[in-house]
Amino acid sequence: MKRALPVLVLTVAGLIPVWRYTPSAPEPAVAEPAPAPSVSTSPGSTTRVVAGPTVDTEKGPVRVEVTLDGDRISAVRMLQQPDHPQTTAAVPVLIEETLEAQSADVDTVSGATVTSDGYRESLQAALDAQGS
Amino acid sequence: MRRVEHVMGFPVSLRIDDEGFEGSAVDDLFAWLREVDARFSPFREDSEVSRLDRGESDPGRLSPELTEVLDLCERYRTATGGAFDVRLPGRRLDPCAVVKGWSVQKGADLLRAAGARRFCLNAGGDVVAAGGPWRVGVRHPEHADRLCTLVDLTDGAVATSARYERGDHIIDGRTGRPATGLLALTVTAPTLTLADTVATAAYALGAEGIEWAAARPGCEVFAVTADRRVVRTAGFPSAESGQVAA
Repeated sequence: MKRALPVLVLTVAGLIPVWRYTPSAPEPAVAEPAPAPSVSTSPGSTTRVVAGPTVDTEKGPVRVEVTLDGDRISAVRMLQQPDHPQTTAAVPVLIEETLEAQSADVDTVSGATVTSDGYRESLQAALDAQGS
Repeated sequence: MRRVEHVMGFPVSLRIDDEGFEGSAVDDLFAWLREVDARFSPFREDSEVSRLDRGESDPGRLSPELTEVLDLCERYRTATGGAFDVRLPGRRLDPCAVVKGWSVQKGADLLRAAGARRFCLNAGGDVVAAGGPWRVGVRHPEHADRLCTLVDLTDGAVATSARYERGDHIIDGRTGRPATGLLALTVTAPTLTLADTVATAAYALGAEGIEWAAARPGCEVFAVTADRRVVRTAGFPSAESGQVAA
């Protein structure tokens, strides 16, 4: 599974110069030269969809499609992937958002109770009290 | 059934929804966590960890469990270029960051082996869940009673490393100084062993830890940087109503 990551990243990196993630030690495992990527551009906009070549990895064939908004990646889609749950995690696309406070019905809270002192004032304590 | 107990220095709350689930497995779970505290706490003078740290035990003849924990610690020290390090100069050996996720995951495995199918185990803010959907809120880094996102968890784990309660308690082993690049970082993964260790190690790395964690197989990341920006992976399992417009 370690090997699938550099291969995928390398494939996409070859297509898109603005790709934001660079592997430290790529291990190329592509057997034959990659065919030219297919590119479709919708007229009147800067949105482009780029499909990469099919790459054989040790987990099976992988093909990635990237949507570019200007020179920004707005979406990455797996066109073809091996039947392996960790394959999707091999393409780390990061999305930026603003920090917002939310309150909602939840079953439990992560990060709420690092210490016992914090627990007493936490949402988790309220949830535990509610359910007992 | 529900139970909350104070173990290993934090509250552990358990909810099991299976009808008529046998209570003895729950007792076994809490007994295991107490055993872990006795054997691996660096704050207990007679623990295996303290004895090793004082040079009183043969490093070649450690228990299989301590060997497993120390191997995990070493793997993550190497993977983070030394940012995550349980043997910091001038400090006691402190594998807590690995012991917590590892032991709670083993506890969850005990429940599963005893037949539990739908449960949610929260140990000091780190969560293992089975048979979901479970809605797991992630605490807002600046407000103890608010959330900053919601996770939809079916079978898996969520761990959060943050500064809010114990202050600057995670040290960047490369500098020996507290890691300050992030306010909070949450990782979802198939196991809590993975989620908790990756969250702590990424937090020690600071801002660069976000991409590092995102590239770990099986991990999805939600992070709040020191300048209050939110960065998450595209695959982070946000619950529907928890999604925020990008």
